[in-house]
Amino acid sequence: MGSTAVEKTLAVKSGMASVKPGDVVYPQPDFVMIHDGVVMGAKRELDALGIDRLAAPDKVVMVTDHDVIYGSSRAAERGAYNREAARRWGVKNFFDVGRGGHGHVFPMETGMLLPGMFYFDNDRHSTNAGAIGAFGFRMGTEISRVLATGTNWVMVPKTVRLTIKGRLAPGVHARDVGFRIAALLESGELAADLDYRVLEYAGELDQFDLAARTALCSSPTEMRAYGVFVPPSAAVLAHAKAKAQRPYTPIFPDADAQYDADLDLDVSALQPQVAKPGGVQHSVDLSTVAGTRIDHVFLGSCGSSFFEDMQSAAAILDGRKLAPHVRMFVAPGSEQSTQRMAREGVLQIFLEAGAVMLPAGCGPCNDAVIGPVHSGEVSISTAANNNFGRFGAKDAQLYLGSPATVAASAVAGVIADPREIK
Amino acid sequence: MTDPFQWKLAGRCYKLGHDVPHPGGVVPARIIVGRHFDAKDIVPHLFEETDPGFHERCRPGDIIVAGRNFGMGPKMNGYIAMQALGLGLVCESMPFLAYRAAVGCGLRVMSDCVNVLEMCETGDELEVDFRDGFFVNRTRNIQREYPPVPDNLLELIELGGNTGWLKQWWAAQQGDAARA
Repeated sequence: MGSTAVEKTLAVKSGMASVKPGDVVYPQPDFVMIHDGVVMGAKRELDALGIDRLAAPDKVVMVTDHDVIYGSSRAAERGAYNREAARRWGVKNFFDVGRGGHGHVFPMETGMLLPGMFYFDNDRHSTNAGAIGAFGFRMGTEISRVLATGTNWVMVPKTVRLTIKGRLAPGVHARDVGFRIAALLESGELAADLDYRVLEYAGELDQFDLAARTALCSSPTEMRAYGVFVPPSAAVLAHAKAKAQRPYTPIFPDADAQYDADLDLDVSALQPQVAKPGGVQHSVDLSTVAGTRIDHVFLGSCGSSFFEDMQSAAAILDGRKLAPHVRMFVAPGSEQSTQRMAREGVLQIFLEAGAVMLPAGCGPCNDAVIGPVHSGEVSISTAANNNFGRFGAKDAQLYLGSPATVAASAVAGVIADPREIK
Repeated sequence: MTDPFQWKLAGRCYKLGHDVPHPGGVVPARIIVGRHFDAKDIVPHLFEETDPGFHERCRPGDIIVAGRNFGMGPKMNGYIAMQALGLGLVCESMPFLAYRAAVGCGLRVMSDCVNVLEMCETGDELEVDFRDGFFVNRTRNIQREYPPVPDNLLELIELGGNTGWLKQWWAAQQGDAARA
């Protein structure tokens, strides 16, 4: 019997010939990531136990992406604490303010995260690793054990395979595919439970570049997938080869792997989607909510902050202004993307349209530390999710759409179809 | 020498239904939002919203039996209280991260116990061996075998969860360093 991508990866990293779902293993990660919001908790927990050194400081990657520009004195204090923690722990791979960007985006751009790799992360959006053919597993507060000992227990998850059929029509984005998948999982039309499963994509995937593959990882994560895997295309492998900072071996699922569920989805007739407030599972065809007046727009987050996402929104905004009553925040996924946006004129388009640029990172999508919504306001964004209160008042109405959709809506002042902006 | 860890619990059944959420169903949401992780702060509030005074009536060895989808969310608070009270948890299913949180608190827990709700009522005398998966209802003379705690997780639970495990691990590291 063959293995799925996650089974193969965990076997390799655990030094075993093979593993099966339900096995408890202790994989050796290629690296360990921890973000700025949880360093203090982990450090204090380990300090209280007297644990004053990390198993492998060289493997630890610290990123400042959740609260980048310190909107409060408390945030500044945390930033100072994190820098001292990095110094005491001997962590050299510290991507602090202005040095990296979003921890679930820039490592794929720079060749730190490569096909076939496995890493531990405190944060659940590490599922993005699947975009490049790798796995990042969320440990939550148990990241402290990984920091101290180098690993932690992992129960091998089951895998659900989803075969994509057909090609997306112009104006339809990979985020739209993710929203649709979430709605179909919720309705049962895609009959699978993603709780602690890996969603492994198959089928016509060459149409998706690295940015689009990252978008494909987003909504399944909100539907409780523990991992997502997109088998690397020739283009993704070429990118990895060009950027690789270290050796790596891509992993692909076996043809005779066993799946918990085997589903397919034809995307050829898919229309732009909008997730209605309360969760990605409330996604509908954009046409059913078109014309809804909006106040707030956010472009960015782990699901939509590659350069290509920025470019897709800029193509709509080019030569246009935001609707007078709309404010728009843009957070690229990496400093590198912000620089490229400046070089290629994309930044100018956003600025001339009247958008506000934020530093690379999570933007409002982390607990509203910046650019939040007020009570009763309506927002459309590319945030990771639109759960009530995700970025501001709990009674604000948060819609989600693709980068093109949120740009079109920002111009129109109402939820608008990017294909109709002429 | 300390007593050996009791993998077999004998006590009364405390039966819950399906889809019991952690906030509200296990402990009040304010305990979670308030980030209370000290057992003494949480114990008085275990099942408070559905059964006030539960913590005074339960006894060590009692077993919480729940249906599908128990304890939604990766929250630890309720499991800290259950562990401190010496209770066990058996359920038909729980979201994996809820299971992981329970194990991380050192709770004796078995998930994936199919139809276990049909095997007992509140107050029945139960014996559950979490190490081999044997479930016995003495009151109704029913025996079942369910998936036990995986071997690789026994030590973690025996040591009281993540903190206890790390404490022991660090002490062993220090011992190794001293001997070297």
